[in-house]
Amino acid sequence: MGNASNEISQVASDVVHYNPSDLGNWVDSMLTELIHQQFPPSDLQDFPYHDTWTDQIGSQQNQNLNHNQQLTVVSTTMDEEDSGIRLVHMLMSCAELMQRGDFSLVASMIQEMQVLLTRVNTRCGIGKVAGYFIDALGRRLFSPISTACGGYSVLENEILYHNFYEACPYLKFAHFTANQAILEAFDGYDCVHVIDFNLMHGLQWPALIQALALRPGGPPLLRLTGIGPPSPDGRDTLREVGLRLAELARSVNVRFVFRGVAASRLEDVKTWMLQVSSKEAVAINSIMQLHKLLYMDPGRGSAIDTVLSWIRSLNPRIITVVEQEADHNQPEFLDRFTEALYYYSTMFDSLEACGLRPEKSLAEIHIQREICNILCCEGSGRIERHEPLVKWRTRLSESGFKPVHLGSNAFKQASMLLTLFSAEGYCVEEREGCLTLGWHSRPLIAASAWQAVPDEPTSSLAPMLNSQNSNVM
Amino acid sequence: MEDGREKKKPPSPKFCINDHVDILVEILRRLDGDTLAVAACVCRLWHSITRHDSLWESLCFRHVPSPPPSGIKPIVLALGGYKRLYMLCLRPVLNRLSRFGLRDRVDHVQLTLSLFCVDYYERLGGGGGKLGESSASSSSLMFLCRPVNV
Repeated sequence: MGNASNEISQVASDVVHYNPSDLGNWVDSMLTELIHQQFPPSDLQDFPYHDTWTDQIGSQQNQNLNHNQQLTVVSTTMDEEDSGIRLVHMLMSCAELMQRGDFSLVASMIQEMQVLLTRVNTRCGIGKVAGYFIDALGRRLFSPISTACGGYSVLENEILYHNFYEACPYLKFAHFTANQAILEAFDGYDCVHVIDFNLMHGLQWPALIQALALRPGGPPLLRLTGIGPPSPDGRDTLREVGLRLAELARSVNVRFVFRGVAASRLEDVKTWMLQVSSKEAVAINSIMQLHKLLYMDPGRGSAIDTVLSWIRSLNPRIITVVEQEADHNQPEFLDRFTEALYYYSTMFDSLEACGLRPEKSLAEIHIQREICNILCCEGSGRIERHEPLVKWRTRLSESGFKPVHLGSNAFKQASMLLTLFSAEGYCVEEREGCLTLGWHSRPLIAASAWQAVPDEPTSSLAPMLNSQNSNVM
Repeated sequence: MEDGREKKKPPSPKFCINDHVDILVEILRRLDGDTLAVAACVCRLWHSITRHDSLWESLCFRHVPSPPPSGIKPIVLALGGYKRLYMLCLRPVLNRLSRFGLRDRVDHVQLTLSLFCVDYYERLGGGGGKLGESSASSSSLMFLCRPVNV
């Protein structure tokens, strides 16, 4: 490492250093410049802000050389640097043309970008992200809507999801934070019922079962209702997952009952399927599911209202909501494109820092699917309608829910979990009682907890209910 | 035949630790994890003693200020035992979280137990997710085995 830094400082005057571990900020700085300026002509000499960003990159470079990180500093020549910038410019102008409907120009730009891609390193950094975005633009242009988003089977989706779970800490953070909130809400109850909006392999629940097993006073009776898509070819994957969870619960002496509800869409679930009893404490767990309900059908309204109202009718003790912290539901294509470029650059950046591991490539495909859905699909096919925490807060408050603060235990646990994940750069932040996990100060995923506000006949006269926080320990 | 030859003194009884397994256990119980692993290579007797889970039990909770919650033992045993808990989870967790204070050790142990439980679940076949592989493999703890950037 010492030799490398000597070498690099010697050539510092000649080449520009590209810091692949801070891609998110680099892209962001470029995008903010672009929004305020006309696109320069293709003559590279005339880039007006060339100096400002090289200074930025240079200072970040010096900072990061001091860290003992698995950082592959890629010293590149001027050409590759500028190819990277040109790619981002071209992506932005292509997106604008797409929005304007200038499809033939879009097609020729895509070809140009593909040529430019050969001049950058597509295995990391901007090259990789640009590759996915160029691909998405191509799909939007050339593929019919139905296949543009890549038809993956239920099993393939589960595999991709699992690899995403392994390769980076976002889902682990989601699970552990939600479990902590649920555990605290269940304090003092002997019959508890968790409703999971997306069971997958049930990886969230072993930790909760173990924590309930060890709680002072003994474990409650735990009922878990897992909602998931119906599995093809006759297998009952929900039941298989339930059996394994039951076996685990039996090993640690927790009374456990599982029920699977197969539904391809959350709005098809009816409350009678969940068989909630009035004597039990109910927790609703939604990990990145609510945004799929946000499509506003002109005739029928949006599914989110239906689902939120039946959630309220169950009178849950707690509702844990984890969502991507991004505004990918904007009506204008260009706005979505810009936001997605920044968001996913940051996410790919963070994935790079997690080191080489076999799950990474499948995790990237999982992310790529999201990108394609955001950019290529429209109408009811576009399900990745991510919205930021502020919008969810408004939406949930208006639907009759009040926030429950995630306590300091959740924050501590999240920090510990991240320290274990051995990649510097992840950060946990607390924002008005919610926790966000991000990469280098850009939050990427937000976890929050909610409770239903009980209905009062005349809300203006009824006294304000004290929000009973059982999170303080 | 010389009578003058000195009679050999009867050999004084030598103390051999291997004859006193209970003392040996008490000594080994107080070693740290790495030394215990080294001790396991000394001889067959020592190796068989170090396989006892009770040795690892005291190791697991040695550095926690407050005693572990009651009822933890059957759970740990059901999930795979103290030795596995220590080697797979607790040791890397304590190493990496060493910069946190002693007060947080209890939380570290809680987190470790949760991760251990996920590991057990995956060994049951609950993880899934590997293309073409139907056998149970626990991979979600692999991040603990990766080299750390300290």
